[in-house]
Amino acid sequence: MTTPDQAAVLVDAGEHRGGTGTARFVLKKLVEALISVVLVVVLFFFLFRMLPGDPVAAMTRDRATSPQQLALLREQMGVDKPVFVQFGNYFWGLLHGDLGESRLLNNGRPVADMIGERLWPTILLVGSATLLAVILGLWLGIRAAWRRDSLFDRTQTGIALTLWSVPQFWLGLMLLVVTNGLFPSRGMHSPDAAPDVLSQTLDVLHHLVLPCVTLLAVFYAQYMLIMRSSLLGEMNADYLTTARAKGLRDDLVRRRHAVPNALLPTTTLVFMQIGSVVAGAVTVEAVFSWPGLGQLTYDALHGPDLPVLQGVFTVLASAVVLMNLLAELLYRVLDPRVRTS
Amino acid sequence: MRTMGWFLVQFQRRVGRLGAVAAVAALAAIPLAVPAQAQQGKVLRVALTTGIDHLNPFTAVLSASTQIGRFTYEFLTVPNAEKAEASPALAESWTPSPDKLTWTFKIRGGVKWSDGQPVTAKDAAFTFNRMLTDENARTANGNYVGNFETVTAPDDTTLVIKTKTVQVNMNLLDVPIVPQHIWEPVKDLKDPKTDELAIAGVSDGPFQVTEYKPNEYVKLKANKDYWRGAPKVDELQLLQFKDTEAAVNALKQGEVDVINRLNPNQFAALQGQQGITTNAAPGRRYDELSINFGVTDNANNIIGDGNPVLKDINVRKAITQAVDTQTVVDKVLKGLGQVGGGVVPAIYTAYHWDPSDTEKVKFDLAAANTTLDQAGYAKGPDGVRTAPGGAKLELRLTGHANRSYDQGVAQYVTGWLKDIGITVKQDLVSDDELSDRTSTGKYDLAIGGYGTNPDPDYALSLHTCAARPSPDGKGGSTDTFFCDAQYDDLYKKQLTETDDAKRAGYVKQAQARLYSQFPTIVLDYQNALEAYRSDKFAGFTTQPQPKGAILEQTGYWGVYGATPVGATDTASSGSGNTVLWIVIGAVVVVVLVGGGVMLGRRGKSAEDRE
Amino acid sequence: MTTAETPRQIAWARRRASIVRTWREFAAQRAALAGLVLLGATVVVALLLPFVSDESDLDVTKATGQPLSPPNADFWLGTDNFGRSVLLMTVWGSRVSLLVGFSAALLSVVIGTLIGITAAHFGGWVSATLLRFTDFFLVLPSLILAIALSAVLPKGVGTIIVAIGLTAWPSTARLVRAQTLTIESRPYIERAHALGGGHLHIIGKHVLPGVMPLVLANTTLVVGNAVIADATLSFLGVGDPNSVTWGLVLESALNNGAISRGAWWNVLPPGIAIVLVVLFFTLVGRGLETVFNPRLKK
Repeated sequence: MTTPDQAAVLVDAGEHRGGTGTARFVLKKLVEALISVVLVVVLFFFLFRMLPGDPVAAMTRDRATSPQQLALLREQMGVDKPVFVQFGNYFWGLLHGDLGESRLLNNGRPVADMIGERLWPTILLVGSATLLAVILGLWLGIRAAWRRDSLFDRTQTGIALTLWSVPQFWLGLMLLVVTNGLFPSRGMHSPDAAPDVLSQTLDVLHHLVLPCVTLLAVFYAQYMLIMRSSLLGEMNADYLTTARAKGLRDDLVRRRHAVPNALLPTTTLVFMQIGSVVAGAVTVEAVFSWPGLGQLTYDALHGPDLPVLQGVFTVLASAVVLMNLLAELLYRVLDPRVRTS
Repeated sequence: MRTMGWFLVQFQRRVGRLGAVAAVAALAAIPLAVPAQAQQGKVLRVALTTGIDHLNPFTAVLSASTQIGRFTYEFLTVPNAEKAEASPALAESWTPSPDKLTWTFKIRGGVKWSDGQPVTAKDAAFTFNRMLTDENARTANGNYVGNFETVTAPDDTTLVIKTKTVQVNMNLLDVPIVPQHIWEPVKDLKDPKTDELAIAGVSDGPFQVTEYKPNEYVKLKANKDYWRGAPKVDELQLLQFKDTEAAVNALKQGEVDVINRLNPNQFAALQGQQGITTNAAPGRRYDELSINFGVTDNANNIIGDGNPVLKDINVRKAITQAVDTQTVVDKVLKGLGQVGGGVVPAIYTAYHWDPSDTEKVKFDLAAANTTLDQAGYAKGPDGVRTAPGGAKLELRLTGHANRSYDQGVAQYVTGWLKDIGITVKQDLVSDDELSDRTSTGKYDLAIGGYGTNPDPDYALSLHTCAARPSPDGKGGSTDTFFCDAQYDDLYKKQLTETDDAKRAGYVKQAQARLYSQFPTIVLDYQNALEAYRSDKFAGFTTQPQPKGAILEQTGYWGVYGATPVGATDTASSGSGNTVLWIVIGAVVVVVLVGGGVMLGRRGKSAEDRE
Repeated sequence: MTTAETPRQIAWARRRASIVRTWREFAAQRAALAGLVLLGATVVVALLLPFVSDESDLDVTKATGQPLSPPNADFWLGTDNFGRSVLLMTVWGSRVSLLVGFSAALLSVVIGTLIGITAAHFGGWVSATLLRFTDFFLVLPSLILAIALSAVLPKGVGTIIVAIGLTAWPSTARLVRAQTLTIESRPYIERAHALGGGHLHIIGKHVLPGVMPLVLANTTLVVGNAVIADATLSFLGVGDPNSVTWGLVLESALNNGAISRGAWWNVLPPGIAIVLVVLFFTLVGRGLETVFNPRLKK
């Protein structure tokens, strides 16, 4: 997690030297992102090779297996080869969308399939929570900054700081207990919902409320604090004084000048923070049995089902890298200073 | 919900147009439009707290998946509900040849697959032959066919199985029989399509899978043409929960009707609740604390990294004296289990052995300390004993990380052993790593246990010399690595003894011998804990009877017997606790937010300076 | 006394004055001051615990209470599944939680500062490489990395510290780098260069003192995050079972069915303890940032 004020610095610290053409810039960023993704793959591959235990022995523990069968399994899984050959095979498979096979949870099922079926629930949860958190956070942040030190500002900052200090899984549990049955406690579908599209949609939304609010609560707080502090920074800028001096109304000054400028670093940060939202989803999904990647991680952790963990982490981290690439490109498009310099 | 919305609105006004809350309120308003419920008959909902790997019965190995297989497919024979003994199912009768190498099964006529095709002996022959020829088909139940010579179906009602050597479990082949016309065209049994309804949805058991949402639920409908008669419920739903805690909550709310794998606190929480009945079935499993006494492979080479002090029988005896099995049952199991004795659980009264008063090593910390003092392990100034070589007595304790039983036992053992001057370092690990450690001797103390059968042979066989792994680490089926000539002798005697009473005598002597050498401490036999909504369903058939389990049987009796209770009102779901929780929650929120507001005055000084 | 002061004395006087000024600015923020006082109190309680309370009361075999009994005169916050006092467990839990928080933060801040300063000071390919390295880890979800690390390493407090410490440094590195760049662009650094000051001299004498305040503020904020991360790892079942931590109390309450029994006293105290401690750290950290971070000064 990055703290709001720090985060504001982080964005500023990013280099936005001009001078290179847009095409070259995009190409450079693409190559960098690609390298990052490869690094992610390498990192998780070798991290999970550090685990003690023989995967083949673990796999066959409940069944009578002859030494020949074990040797055959080792050969099939490729674990009898040197680690670099294994990596080569893994990487080659990866290029073809093959993330290996699950060993415990769904033995023999391709990890890519398992991730595929869990991807959408997570995107729905993370997406809706982020969207709502951004809207709520930015709006509250703007209001709080504009009416600095008012009761509103103090209340909102206080609430945000408190929410920001809450462990997410605990908040989820509390919500579950306090709402006591108002919302479904598990999953994202009820088997009794009518098959028509409207009922199905409402059913999913009904299930979405608690996990979404849990994620939202912590992240809106973060965005609000960021927006508030970056707007406070903008408000002392000379051009605002000029605008006021020109006799522009306060809310016009706010809308036309201060907010758009403060919005820039904040939205970029929203993208950069997507990684921690995804991580937050792991615990929240575990609390609410949301059938997404987070729940998968939680289950795989208890095996541990290493190929699944490795696959999920690789996919999550790569997704985050790509989101950041998007953020940087977006920054380039949005920020007039970067464009013209 | 309405009140909450109202509260939010008021809250909003009071605090001065907190537009903030509006978005949250909007989100919260969604459930006001409660999703339309589909028309339904009598639906039995069962909570699953473990995962499903496959619906394909050839590849499904996890217990939830095998359970689905039992609900949907018929077997040649099934263990009956009364005593879990072989009883007719697809096979009306079965007869071995005099040399017991050829078994002839008479297949029931008139049974139909759910697509209308008749079930014949050919289907059974196909199932077994597929397992003989296709490695993937042996994933789940391959151990039953390893010894098969040939399987043939001379006509539609006769199945003949020839085995290479005598096989004792031929009257209980725990293999679901699948329809040949559906599975023959399937070339690759690992194909994900085999989990789809077009294939896994065609069955002949009491229920038939109609919908499968991975990680969420499985829906099954009653087979109206089931040969034993249609189940009394119309639909069976298996809902997946992350853990039993969530399932308990759902049972209280009436979202599910049957749950199992409860822990003692959850069980107690559900006892006496209106509309809920609890079921504690005596356990077929023994829980133990294994002591690594310097374990060996079957060539007698020492393996693993056990602490050498445990080779001293006095140290093992002292540890046994310091472990209070009664407290484990009372505190960890909350009384829902029996105190341990021999490795055959108390439910099997004929073979179960309890130490007599003179044999029993009683819980006595002072005596344990004396034992260690006399054996030459002196206590240092910090209260920790040292071995004659000068090494401190420190033992690692391993077990399942995610089981509350193991967590509880680990805490107690740590406390007791501290009192006799032994430091315990807890290292609870994942199931996989635990089996890895215990099968290679890489532990000092390990919390474990085994599920046993009505026949004592299996429980005893876990402690014979032959069960130890070979020097390459393979082929072991041992629990304790125990290897003792006297024990092995008793084991062999019981194996060949035909007189039941005499055999029981040998079985008990063997358990006594095991007990006297302290390779392990049998802590308890815990009950299987279940609960169901008795305001909605009754008539669950337990296995065995009278006191058995409803779910995870070797059969379908539990859900097959379930009968809806007449028109009942299920409104009374919330308990008195609810109000308390809400009040507490509200207070916490107010206090925290209030505190935050008081403290959240950052920026004041910055403003002051302007 | 003479009025002539040595340069050393002048420097000391300046430094003292600056500390006093900083303190005044900090203390002017009521929230930050309150956070500091409460935090101090928590740390003192945690340190003094072994002198006022017996750790063996946490031993289940010595527990005197009934299991899961609600708050009463003997047990103000009730008891846990084995009849131990929840109050005692919550108070003792502060020790490990704070230890993990401080150590992990220290580890991550040391790594972050080293990398940050190196990346800013040396320039060239070293800087470029370190920057890429930092950016790479900055975007990776740190909690996920921490989960992976603690799943792979043997269980224990050390593992948790390493897992959190090794994954939380990139933002510190970025922050320190930015600050170092700012400092090194000032004229007196060029003078120091011109006067023949080596890398060590410049970093030790000029850069480090310059970035230290911000690093301090940053550390405080990282501790809070580390406390949450510690609890989260315990919740996910990769924590240390040998010591009583807030996360472990929560995890076992979940695992042994205390919540089904409606034993809210097993869930609320550790959770609130986490929220409060993290809030204290955040308030202090924000207070320090307001004082030290030029951006936030008006």
